[in-house]
Amino acid sequence: MSSIAFKPFTGLRRSAALPCHNPNTTTLSKPLVKFHVSASRTSPKLSNRNLRVAVIGGGPAGGAAAETLAKGGIETFLIERKLDNCKPCGGAIPLCMVGEFDLPLDIIDRRVTKMKMISPSNIAVDIGQTLKPHEYIGMVRREVLDAYLRDRAQENGANVINGLFLKMDMPKTWDEPYVLHFTEYDGKKGAMGSKSTLEVDAVIGADGANSRVAKAINAGDYDYAIAFQERIKIPDEKMVYYENLAEMYVGDDVSPDFYGWVFPKCDHVAVGTGTVTHKSDIKKFQLATRNRAKDKILGGKIIRVEAHPIPEHPRPRRLSGRVALVGDAAGYVTKCSGEGIYFAAKSGRMCAEAIVEGSQNGKKMVDEGDLRKYLEKWDKTYWPTYKVLDVLQKVFYRSNPAREAFVEMCADEYVQKMTFDSYLYKTVAPGNPLEDLKLAVNTIGSLVRASALKKEMERLNV
Amino acid sequence: MSISMALFSPPPTPFSLNPNFTHKSTHFPSLNRPFLHLSTPKSLPDNGASAAAVEDSKPNPEDPALERAVEGSSGPNGAATSAEVEVSSNFEDPSWIGGTWDLKQFEKNGSIHWDAVIDAEVRRRKWLQDNPETTSNDNPVVFDTSIIPWWAWMKRFHLPEAELLNGRAAMIGFFMAYLVDSLTGVGLVDQMGNFFCKTLLFVAVSGVLLIRKNEDLDNIKKLIEETTFYDKQWQATWQDDTTSNNN
Repeated sequence: MSSIAFKPFTGLRRSAALPCHNPNTTTLSKPLVKFHVSASRTSPKLSNRNLRVAVIGGGPAGGAAAETLAKGGIETFLIERKLDNCKPCGGAIPLCMVGEFDLPLDIIDRRVTKMKMISPSNIAVDIGQTLKPHEYIGMVRREVLDAYLRDRAQENGANVINGLFLKMDMPKTWDEPYVLHFTEYDGKKGAMGSKSTLEVDAVIGADGANSRVAKAINAGDYDYAIAFQERIKIPDEKMVYYENLAEMYVGDDVSPDFYGWVFPKCDHVAVGTGTVTHKSDIKKFQLATRNRAKDKILGGKIIRVEAHPIPEHPRPRRLSGRVALVGDAAGYVTKCSGEGIYFAAKSGRMCAEAIVEGSQNGKKMVDEGDLRKYLEKWDKTYWPTYKVLDVLQKVFYRSNPAREAFVEMCADEYVQKMTFDSYLYKTVAPGNPLEDLKLAVNTIGSLVRASALKKEMERLNV
Repeated sequence: MSISMALFSPPPTPFSLNPNFTHKSTHFPSLNRPFLHLSTPKSLPDNGASAAAVEDSKPNPEDPALERAVEGSSGPNGAATSAEVEVSSNFEDPSWIGGTWDLKQFEKNGSIHWDAVIDAEVRRRKWLQDNPETTSNDNPVVFDTSIIPWWAWMKRFHLPEAELLNGRAAMIGFFMAYLVDSLTGVGLVDQMGNFFCKTLLFVAVSGVLLIRKNEDLDNIKKLIEETTFYDKQWQATWQDDTTSNNN
């Protein structure tokens, strides 16, 4: 059992800059109290303008939010610092995202229909036989997806601004706007950019794991994993193997609490690994991952090395006043699989829908209660998914025997069907109780066998 | 890729055949294979003899490709690379055929000796834990522990431990029964009818089952904390606003 030192979670809200919690809340709570006295139903109508909302960050979360806001008749400003950003990312989207967000099929570079899970002792299990012909996991290039969503938001009326968000002035009374300070680049590359300000009524923070909006509202910190990835161009005959297959390697050598992967991209593969607890050893884990896949990526050339943080759980505070966080900024990445694109886009959309509804298509001012509805809906809809994945990670990623059992379980068809159904459609389906019971028994059997072997292994040492 | 080859630090091999290779880099494809396997003493003792036969299943084209990638890392002179190539040793065993254990080789007087299969798999996993290997599409590992029947696992692992725990429970039970009897005068039969004694019995049995070592107490506490930690992280956003809870 890995000994995790549990940091006291309630203390995370205290930011280092403000050692004393109380003054902070009193300065915020005065306008907060005022916000809550007036229910949204009695919010004043905006007399001569529509509601103004700024979305900071133009990734999937920002793009989806801006589109929904603009469609809802709200004056939307989408502020993105780098319009051609190639965000380092696994790039996998579930099938339901294509339908829910009306994505054109040419955005998807590859359809992954087979996966191979490889245990620490190299037992390899193929999964994907239960997939129907129209089901797949879509692999996208982030720069293509992000640009598409942003352009669609712009077509619907959002103002896309190329700028870097710097800071935000909080309103002192409830009817004052938020003043955003940002550096506007105006599309010129390498230019200095000019300082600009923007007054808006509400803000959606979609600026990713190192969110500045989160810092501005003292959202608190979260634990995060480091994902390290190398893009490798392998010879064409080896690329055929990865035509529609992704691989997942588990083992202590590859990662102590996550997995190593080989994902096919448009014309190369991405080989990477991640960890939360041993970030300083990430290069070692990457070498081990490349070693495990050595035969299959032999002769490949590394064309790009990238790393990015992945949040492990939501920030302590995802909402403050009329500022809400969505996507990676809020920490909506699942455990076990580390999936974030779909949840980012969906949370952006959900938050925007709450604003549109609370403001009655931009005619009234919103307040914190309206934004809280988004949080309620989100937690209610996706909490089971997050919890199940957390349990899976805790049970199956904790040690090598557990990982061996995990790979053994993946060979079971019922497991494959349940896994893919819940991944592709984002619902935790209850399944057949008899099969569930059989599955539970088999899981326990696998775990017991694997740990018995591990005990024997340790005896060999001694 | 080439960097990983150079950095692939092998376990030290007593039979170091490196000096022989340095000047024979051009002869790699043909000469390499037999030497490759004689220099891996980590597996079973009778490895060397049959290893060459087992490994013929590995496809040839890999070697020249291996050479090319390795030579790329140390310039035109392929001499230094011979060390890396030579020590990419895989797990070999005469009973490990086609990615799984050949059960026929474990037969003794007609019936399969499952303990030996378990021992063999333990050795394989230990070997791989210390020397992680690359996976290969041509030699996939397809071994599944469930081919070993459940009673073999029971006999080997469950029964000895059950004996130990039952022994502990019996000793505790006898001593506690004697103690309670001497303190209260209630005999064993009357003790079993009393609710408090039944509770004590339950606590004693579950204690013996759950707490085997001193560390288990801490582990159990941590486990309980772990199960609810994620929930707490998610609900943190709601904790701050219990006072202003309307709408």
